Amino acid sequence: MAEAPTSPAGGSHESGGDQSPRSAGVREQDRYLPIANISRIMKKALPANGKIAKDAKDTMQECVSEFISFITSEASDKCQKEKRKTINGDDLLWAMATLGFEDYIEPLKVYLARYRELEGDSKGSARGGDASVKRDVVGGLAAQNPQFAHQGSLSYINSQFADAEG
Amino acid sequence: MRQAGMYSGILAGGRTGPHSFPLARIKKIMKKSGGNVNMISGEAPIVFSKACELLIEELTRRSWMVAMQRKRRTLHKEDVVSAVIATDIFDFLVNLVSDSTTPLDLTPVEREKLEF
Repeated sequence: MAEAPTSPAGGSHESGGDQSPRSAGVREQDRYLPIANISRIMKKALPANGKIAKDAKDTMQECVSEFISFITSEASDKCQKEKRKTINGDDLLWAMATLGFEDYIEPLKVYLARYRELEGDSKGSARGGDASVKRDVVGGLAAQNPQFAHQGSLSYINSQFADAEG
Repeated sequence: MRQAGMYSGILAGGRTGPHSFPLARIKKIMKKSGGNVNMISGEAPIVFSKACELLIEELTRRSWMVAMQRKRRTLHKEDVVSAVIATDIFDFLVNLVSDSTTPLDLTPVEREKLEF
């Protein structure tokens, strides 16, 4: 399954339940993202000697759900005004830009382009193809080939690969 | 069904799944966000998976600066709350985090030192 292995136990914490008006009758695991995943990302953002108390993780978990709701509501309003029924990725990007998160747009576009590229390619060929794109060639190809020009913003990822492979 | 191994090492840095969070869970939270969330495109939860990661990183870093200010090396809830209050784009979180106990706003001196 696509679910993270940590999911079932993830949300159990005492402070979660009673503060939100939406909480009545809704299971914990439907309201929050798994705390193990959140905790892992928090740790990455801290120096090695930094520790995180449980109440900080719980608070972060609540904030993340609120963030999703906040952005989704704005995107949903836009869709309604434009008489569209499906909220898509661009609606979310627009909502984030509107609500002050314009710094997130560029990394999100890169992430999404990367995802589309992998998803679009036939399975298996994606990784081999990327790995063979050498750092010094990317710039030149971008000039000649529209496909690579489209991927231009992703070239730093390829650079990292080239570095990792030595 | 999506194969996990296909992306690992590319997007996720060696973890098992392609994204930071379970997409089905994100979708559930989106559906509860308001009255008229009808349909959600497949890409929307993927955008959120990364966006939530960015949010957590940013809020954690800002909270850490507060904790350091308070001479601690352990992040506590009150540090997160203070970071939320001191940062304009996190205004939407203020009601959520500040309806409980403990110290809220930074002192003017603390705020100046942090220079958010």
